[in-house]
Amino acid sequence: MRIEITRSGGFGGITRTWSLEVSRTEAEQRWLPLAEAEAGAATDARRADAGRADATGPLVDRAQTASGAGPGEAAAPASRTPERGPGQQRDRFTYRISIGYTEVTVSEGRLDESWRELIERARAEGTDGAGHGPP
Amino acid sequence: MQRIHCGIVPPHLLTRLAALQDPRLSGASSAARHALLELDPVLRERSEALRAPVRRGSAIAGSLTRRIHDAGGREELPGEVVRAEGAPATGDVAADEAYDGLGSTYRLFSEEYGRSSIDGAGKRLDATVHYGSNYDNAFWDGERMVFGDGDGEIFGRFTASLTVISHELTHGFTQYSTNLEYQGQSGALNESLSDVFGVLVEQRDLGQDAASAAWLVGAGIFTPSVRGEALRSLKAPGTAYDDDVLGKDPQPATMADYVETTSDNGGVHINSGIPNHAFYLAATALGGEAWTGVGRVWYDAVLSGTIPPDCDFPTFAQATQDAAGRRFGVDSREAGAVAEAWTRVGVLR
Repeated sequence: MRIEITRSGGFGGITRTWSLEVSRTEAEQRWLPLAEAEAGAATDARRADAGRADATGPLVDRAQTASGAGPGEAAAPASRTPERGPGQQRDRFTYRISIGYTEVTVSEGRLDESWRELIERARAEGTDGAGHGPP
Repeated sequence: MQRIHCGIVPPHLLTRLAALQDPRLSGASSAARHALLELDPVLRERSEALRAPVRRGSAIAGSLTRRIHDAGGREELPGEVVRAEGAPATGDVAADEAYDGLGSTYRLFSEEYGRSSIDGAGKRLDATVHYGSNYDNAFWDGERMVFGDGDGEIFGRFTASLTVISHELTHGFTQYSTNLEYQGQSGALNESLSDVFGVLVEQRDLGQDAASAAWLVGAGIFTPSVRGEALRSLKAPGTAYDDDVLGKDPQPATMADYVETTSDNGGVHINSGIPNHAFYLAATALGGEAWTGVGRVWYDAVLSGTIPPDCDFPTFAQATQDAAGRRFGVDSREAGAVAEAWTRVGVLR
């Protein structure tokens, strides 16, 4: 099964794409479950963001609400926290990882060891599609 | 369920009210500052910075405090301190470039605009060099600048260009002033401010006027194998590089070529070409030192309190026109050049 990794953003804003082939077994046992877990976490984070946005806007730490706490509980401590952490990061990379028909977007700061291993493999073994601007 | 701290008055309006100097409105101004105090510690700093008297030149000399760390090739922050303020050069090129670049950036804001560090309150400037292995990026993490050494094939070390260092530090300035959201047009404005003040730091260091400046961001960080002179050009967005591996610089110069995309936070590093080019057009129409003319206008606009976190291009353009009118007069050459520039890039009619 083909895995395609597109990296956008970064200081240069240069989009690059790498891909590699893995066995269907490896994709199903290792990468698809990881992608589904990531998509779930991203949805939780978005819900928490949306809940808090009404209260205090973007001026609080997004990391605190990504932990799975409900928007109500998360908003109180976050609103007194100086804006630091992932919400204030600038010029970092964003990775879009496609595994078959499943696609997930992961910011650089949230990449865990497994995703890093996959990206390293794609960069080392895979083909580099030239980044002709944004897709 | 949600906590609403300040009723229906949005934070950007509170910030604007807090900055009012009109004695007849001192009650409203004071109330707004009070509301900001309850809202958020960073907004509080912002409000205090806005009403603080402007300090100039030697009055704040000596408040520059830098600290350079070395991550030793790991992706861990902050790393070990290798150079504190006043310490001699380390001999490590990246660490010394970061130290010098932070100083140059600090001096533009301090000596030209009277601002004490990025937060207006003398905040220490922290940077980490040698981050990660073959790491192809430089970024601002909310508290510090972080620089990779590059992969050696496409990118060399990111501190090699002063404009990269000044770009990252300006993200800190933006965080403590307008806090433009990093998405879509407000994100592109956030990026553009970093590019604009990034090149102004270099022009001031080199003593270049608008006509002789390169207007490039990231010149010298590509290896010789890349066909490209820099990452971005304010003079001619879309022409900075054209390479087999990297593709072509995707930046538009005008709204006619605005790029709609979900990548890169909605193209924040792409559509920044439009406000970048507007700045270039205004600066070269006026000539002379860009940091004292149009640069001063952009700085005034950022601190005017009229730029909301979700600012779009037309709102920002109007803020710069208003700022030019306040500082140089509504019929001034400066105000005319700013209006003409935004019209030429298609943001204003």
